[in-house]
Amino acid sequence: MADRSAAIAGLGMTDLGKVYGRTAAQFAGDAVRLAVADAGLELGDVDGLLTSAGVSGGVGLALQRDLGLRDLRLLSEMQSYGSTAGQMVQYASLAIGAGMAETVACVFADAPLRQDTSTGAAYGARGAVGWRGLLGAAGIRDTNSMYALAAQRHMDTYGTTNDQLGHIAVGQRAWAELNPRAQMRTPMTLEDYHASRWIVEPFHLLDCCLVSNGGIAVVVTSAERAASLARPPVHVLGWGQAHPGHAQRRHEDFGLVSGAARSGPAALAMAGLTVSDVDVVELYDCYTFTVVITLEDYGFCPKGEGGRFVADGTLGPDGKLKVNTGGGQLSSSYMWGMTPLSEAVLQARGEAGRRQVPEHDVVLVSGNGGVLDHHSTLVLSPHGPAGRSSS
Amino acid sequence: MTVGPVRRDEATAAFFDGTARGELLLFRCPAGHFSPPYSQQCDTCASVDLTAVAASGGASVVSRSVAHRRGGHRDILVVAELDEGPWWWSKVIDVEPEQVVAGARLTVVVERADEESEAVPVFRLA
Ligand SMILES: [Zn+2]
Repeated sequence: MADRSAAIAGLGMTDLGKVYGRTAAQFAGDAVRLAVADAGLELGDVDGLLTSAGVSGGVGLALQRDLGLRDLRLLSEMQSYGSTAGQMVQYASLAIGAGMAETVACVFADAPLRQDTSTGAAYGARGAVGWRGLLGAAGIRDTNSMYALAAQRHMDTYGTTNDQLGHIAVGQRAWAELNPRAQMRTPMTLEDYHASRWIVEPFHLLDCCLVSNGGIAVVVTSAERAASLARPPVHVLGWGQAHPGHAQRRHEDFGLVSGAARSGPAALAMAGLTVSDVDVVELYDCYTFTVVITLEDYGFCPKGEGGRFVADGTLGPDGKLKVNTGGGQLSSSYMWGMTPLSEAVLQARGEAGRRQVPEHDVVLVSGNGGVLDHHSTLVLSPHGPAGRSSS
Repeated sequence: MTVGPVRRDEATAAFFDGTARGELLLFRCPAGHFSPPYSQQCDTCASVDLTAVAASGGASVVSRSVAHRRGGHRDILVVAELDEGPWWWSKVIDVEPEQVVAGARLTVVVERADEESEAVPVFRLA
């Protein structure tokens, strides 16, 4: 039987951060062109396109025409918030496995930052109408507040502390210092973390992700085709999704358990691996707390131990577990699920420069959207399914 | 200002008629389960035979946070469990942050930004 497994063959990243003068659609076009060129392909080789827009919108089906892509066999806009990037790779892999498409570009781009407005305003504006307006009128105006309520419940239940959350921010900043693309590269101490202003307790400024303009794309193709292309293939060995559908009522585990608890084990099982096989972990880190709950739910430590786990010399370039090696959304840039995915591709290829993790056979990637409502997981490797079993 | 302004739409018209009377409306199904007021069906048994009823107003803190606003103002935010079971996300007014801990007892009251705005359910310490 022909091997119809999929691999990531191209990665394209525009300048990221405070980059002005281009729309989200232009960033998306740039990212796809870069990813296709990175793979050693031409735009005409692309027969599938999946798009994902951020808060500024403007990235969608029109990208086909912007890129002059003709006779596509797969084209759709996708939206599961921060879990979308991982999902795009999953649907691309399924389409390739089914023979529906051969080479699928997956792109996210956003341009929420304007030169004349604050970063808070970029994500804060909402009309006060209906149910959403009611929430804002009652003071719950943004995602920061909702994740803060999730995090505080974890802290109250398991004894997780701000000091422990601070270790995540500090560890990831140390990685970002080694990443020339990172927006924040000045060293950070635990004192700096505690001194940063409160946004919504228990979150300081340094618990929260950045706001960034830019675009990132990957090209997914068959492992067979990827083997003959320009870059080392990054094989897609396993994947999963989980959407808990929490009710708003008594006994719900909001803030305590996320979709990662189902998605992670499913992805690893598909790859025939366990969490102890993972060499590099690239987690969606919209807040420091998201790292804690995802590490627990993936099984790197017992439930409720995430805070103590991350404060115990686990994180950072010298840590026991290699987590968010590019600095993540906290210190590198916020491209939703493309931030962990792009770093995972670089690590799996062995192209992460000064921050390259020597052992990178298995790279685990998470995506998280809504308020812990949507989760996606990918298991990536420089080795194909067959090569891995013989190694 | 204790709460911000908010306008009704089709989905929230009946709910805001309730808050105008000082009530936080929930839905109750024939089996007696309570669901949040934005539900299409009972979130316990999926019944679509829902009747709007006023919550008793008693609640307990599930989680809390303190939002720091420009100018030094702070909002105490909570996820609260209404005594009927559904959760309600809002703020606690006339309180110090230290008083709002997990399990603390609350009472629903309504506040309004101005004459034009709908009334918004918030909490006080019970
Ligand atoms: Zn019912």
